[in-house]
Amino acid sequence: MVRLSDLHPTEAEHLRARADAMPVLECERWLTPPPLTESTVAIVSTCGMHRRDDPPFTPLALDYRLLPRGVDWADVVVSHISANFDRSGLADDPNVAMPLDRLEDLAAAGEIGGVSQWHYTFMGAMPQPQSFEETGTEVGRLLADDGVDVALLVPI
Amino acid sequence: MQPPRALFVPFPLGRPLGVPGDAEFQLDVLRASLAMLATATESTIEDYPIEAPEAGPEVWACPLNLAVPTDDTLTGRLMAEVARLRPWATETRRQRGRTTFGLSGAAADQVDEVAAALALVAETGDIDTNPVVDTAAATGWAHDMPFLLRHLADDLRSFYHEAIASQPGETPPNHDALNEWIFGQTVFGEVLITIGDHLTAAESHSPFAPLIRGLMIPEGHYRDVASFKGIAGGYES
Repeated sequence: MVRLSDLHPTEAEHLRARADAMPVLECERWLTPPPLTESTVAIVSTCGMHRRDDPPFTPLALDYRLLPRGVDWADVVVSHISANFDRSGLADDPNVAMPLDRLEDLAAAGEIGGVSQWHYTFMGAMPQPQSFEETGTEVGRLLADDGVDVALLVPI
Repeated sequence: MQPPRALFVPFPLGRPLGVPGDAEFQLDVLRASLAMLATATESTIEDYPIEAPEAGPEVWACPLNLAVPTDDTLTGRLMAEVARLRPWATETRRQRGRTTFGLSGAAADQVDEVAAALALVAETGDIDTNPVVDTAAATGWAHDMPFLLRHLADDLRSFYHEAIASQPGETPPNHDALNEWIFGQTVFGEVLITIGDHLTAAESHSPFAPLIRGLMIPEGHYRDVASFKGIAGGYES
């Protein structure tokens, strides 16, 4: 996330209003995963990234796209609808928002137990976060069924 | 929101791992977040203590001469500007082996078609009909107007970013400097502002038109008013 003071004042005011309107979503059941060196890690991002032949995200989208482990970056695009975040960094290095290569680095070094076969991307740009409950819960089930111990949520 | 374990990172929007191309910096951010799995015992937000190095200069001047002395139509001027940028955009694509261009439905080599489509909309003010600039591209647009405008603009912006990423000299400009350049010094910016005016004028028959304006033009770059004008419930992140 960015400091509000680093944003254009109109955008900062917009985010303040969004934060004020945000419902209270409390922490659910506290879970402690296995030691990191034994944990399989997946990434869930709101950067709107997907493979080129996936359907692009549309306004108010609540669905998600899949990125497989080892995805070819040449096959990846970003269809997030907002004009207000930097795309040049992502175009230069997708890991700056979707650090799949870095997870591979950590796995190769033995710092994490493994990298999930599947990673998930949503598009944010949704003022009612509770709207994601259905697809969010679905992704949670899929991650659990896939043996994932740790989900790293990476907002854009 | 009370996420179980959260790391606040002081980086620009679009760069949650901090620095593109810097694996060590990205790994440090990841390690800091994953370390909370072993330390946090209740809902916790920690601050990541390291600022990212400045993402390029805040004030930046493109070394290419984009002035075009002849054709003074908007289409002619935009096509000439795109032609001047093409060698460096091509070089960036060559170096990266990939491009993020093409969400409008245009093929990777159809930059001219995307530019011509935007210029056509700017010149005609027709925000309702998919622009016809080339038979192949026109039938390949992946969206309908006016939402297509958002992806046409993003595709051409990707091309402009590619055109400066591999130029010699200092590191590429940051997000704000890029926007200052595009909206202050390029025909592309002029085209987007003109389309923004058409979208503003179309509000009475197309309620979504002002919304599309905000999805094309970043805040702070549309005239002296807010670019984004949401509808109830809003769409913005």
